[in-house]
Amino acid sequence: MIIKHQEKIASVEIIQRQFEALGYICSSSVATAIYLACHLQKPILIEGPPGVGKTELAKITAAYLNAPLIRMQCYEGLDESKALYEWKYGKQLLYTQVLKEQLGDVLRGARGLDESIARLHDFGDIFYSQEFLEPRPLLQALQSEGGAVLLIDEIDKADQEFEAFLLELLSDYQVSIPEIGTVKAKSTPIVMLTSNNTRELGDALKRRCLHLYIPFPDAALESRILATQVEGLDAQLREQIVALIAELRNLPLKKSPAVSETIDWARALLLLNVETLDPTWVKETLNLLLKFQDDIELVEPEIAALLKRVS
Amino acid sequence: MRFVADFIGALREAGLPVSPAESLDALNAIKLLGLENRKTTKTVLALTLVKRQTDQVIYEQLFDLYFTGVEKVKQTDSDKLLPEEQKNTSEAGLGENEQESGADEYAASSALGQSLNQKQDMSLAIAQAALAEKLSSIVLFTQKNHFAYKIMQRLGDEALSAEIRADASSPAQKDLQRELIKSRARLLEQVKDYVEQQYMIFARHKGLKFREEHLQQAKLSQLEHIDYTLMQRLVQRAARKLATQHSRRRLTRKRGLLDVRKTIAANAAFDGALFHTRWKATRVDRPKIVAICDVSGSVSRVARFLLLFLYSLQDVIPKVRSFVFASEMVEVTQLLEQENIELALEEIMQRWGGLSTDYGEALAGFQEQALASIDKKTTVILLGDARNNQGDGRTDIWQKVFRQSKRVLWLNPEQRNSWDSGDSIMSQYSPWCSSVEPCRNLKDIEGIFSRLLKYS
Repeated sequence: MIIKHQEKIASVEIIQRQFEALGYICSSSVATAIYLACHLQKPILIEGPPGVGKTELAKITAAYLNAPLIRMQCYEGLDESKALYEWKYGKQLLYTQVLKEQLGDVLRGARGLDESIARLHDFGDIFYSQEFLEPRPLLQALQSEGGAVLLIDEIDKADQEFEAFLLELLSDYQVSIPEIGTVKAKSTPIVMLTSNNTRELGDALKRRCLHLYIPFPDAALESRILATQVEGLDAQLREQIVALIAELRNLPLKKSPAVSETIDWARALLLLNVETLDPTWVKETLNLLLKFQDDIELVEPEIAALLKRVS
Repeated sequence: MRFVADFIGALREAGLPVSPAESLDALNAIKLLGLENRKTTKTVLALTLVKRQTDQVIYEQLFDLYFTGVEKVKQTDSDKLLPEEQKNTSEAGLGENEQESGADEYAASSALGQSLNQKQDMSLAIAQAALAEKLSSIVLFTQKNHFAYKIMQRLGDEALSAEIRADASSPAQKDLQRELIKSRARLLEQVKDYVEQQYMIFARHKGLKFREEHLQQAKLSQLEHIDYTLMQRLVQRAARKLATQHSRRRLTRKRGLLDVRKTIAANAAFDGALFHTRWKATRVDRPKIVAICDVSGSVSRVARFLLLFLYSLQDVIPKVRSFVFASEMVEVTQLLEQENIELALEEIMQRWGGLSTDYGEALAGFQEQALASIDKKTTVILLGDARNNQGDGRTDIWQKVFRQSKRVLWLNPEQRNSWDSGDSIMSQYSPWCSSVEPCRNLKDIEGIFSRLLKYS
């Protein structure tokens, strides 16, 4: 990708600082990954529990580099006609109609079958050509002039076959379309893949990517995230929230509360004008943090003890 | 860059699959960001080399071990300074000293002694010597002393020892000798530490790998109790491999031939223009398995691993009924479906294992409990040595089982030439088996199940 402002990616620290200015607080390993992806032109595979900002990272990178974000959500049964390209069948049909009408003009005066066919060949075959190609996200990313940020979201949801199909794109930034040939990227996009680890990805795919694991943030980082995301939150309450969340993550829950849930919860508490965490409020709003009834039942009797430990 | 390459070697030994392409990426990344900041280096190498969450822990351990060593060496500065050069310079330095202070102080004559006397940091020299002695090829902990000795030799220990042992002609020389003995002890300590550290980096996992390879071939019946846990891990890994290989086949369901009849029917609404296609689905049968295990005497150990293997394959063969017997046939399906399979196995072996065998009685029990449920989709696997203590084998029941089922596999934990010797009645059963196979080690079990999944 031609990065218009090289100074933006001059060092890891600059990236980290600027992301922070844009409202995305990240650890230095995240910033290092972005730095390397830009300089080595390698895709990044981002793994981590849901809600730690994997997708958000792609969005913020696109915004930071002033590049369009092209997003492709993966799901079971996703195939190349939905991911890469599709022929514009309707227009192709119209084209044959037009061709039929023009045929008289083209072949007028031709003597014998051989000459007719020769003329037909000269006419040019555009039935399978760029004009009738409907680009899907992957092709769009390759064709965009100034480069783009391509986000392949939740790659683990796609079939294994699709993963294999991505390999050519990831290593050489090109794809093969049987009727046309190889399409090379006009300008190398920055590719990010995210995965929630519902299944193990293939080694071939992993080999081609930088592998970034984003864990739950530590208390200090999470506190900073809250500070930027939820304005007007009391500092003391913020510390309490962060500490409580950290305690919750240590419990054997089906789904631990992620950063996004922390933010939601903090916003809710702000809206409710809660000044300090007390058992009733926590109980009332627990469904914002925990999404399974089992988890809620597990935590509810513990609330008082947890709060005592936090404050 | 050498450090990085060596580190990658260590990672590979520890079982991380690092490809050459990834190594190149790592080197390129290091070129961009340098090796100065340890935290950055750690992040960079993790990004480029560690692709599995489970490997992260191993990586972090190794990184800390390895780079503490590297940093020590780097502190001594000047990357490529050879020990010889170092010694030369020290010699020169010493020469000047001598001239200045006159001849009243006695100087060490051996090169190593001089370096030690000058209190030089020896880490770089040790690292160089270790490299020359190929310390990274260390495999067993018994080699540690050997390598330490060799490194000492290369550092010039021989000359030093000779000097220490030489007859002292003056008190000054005696003092020097005492000093040298102390320095030598310190140096030896340092070398040993270094070897220990390198052993931790390179060999710990090599030893494990070595043992695992050995275990795969080992006879299950002679396995020591101590190896059980390791073996269980191996079994589960092998089962997982098979499971992933064969879970892919489920997808073939989605492909298949065009079902013309259904396609025409589906498109009747469009005046016969074919918009939607309908495909003949190919069904992949999951084998239904009935496993019968002899748990008497030496067979019980093999039975244990067979059952473990079977239940580790639950993703691909969900329908398994299992029976164990010595003289009485007992169904243990429910017991084994509990969460902790290892405990369940332990319990089974304790309750029913170790009794004397009676195949006739056991088969009669099987006829009562399960014969009715065996149909043409069922594969019956029996693990046993067919040693029946001279009793009636009731082959008539086995014949019925064979007729009713899709296939009957008899796995015998003894080798072929001991079948039918003594009280073994293998040849009475074998006509009523689709195949009889020896099943002595993990490789055998893996092969058997691989074939089972492939052709069912």
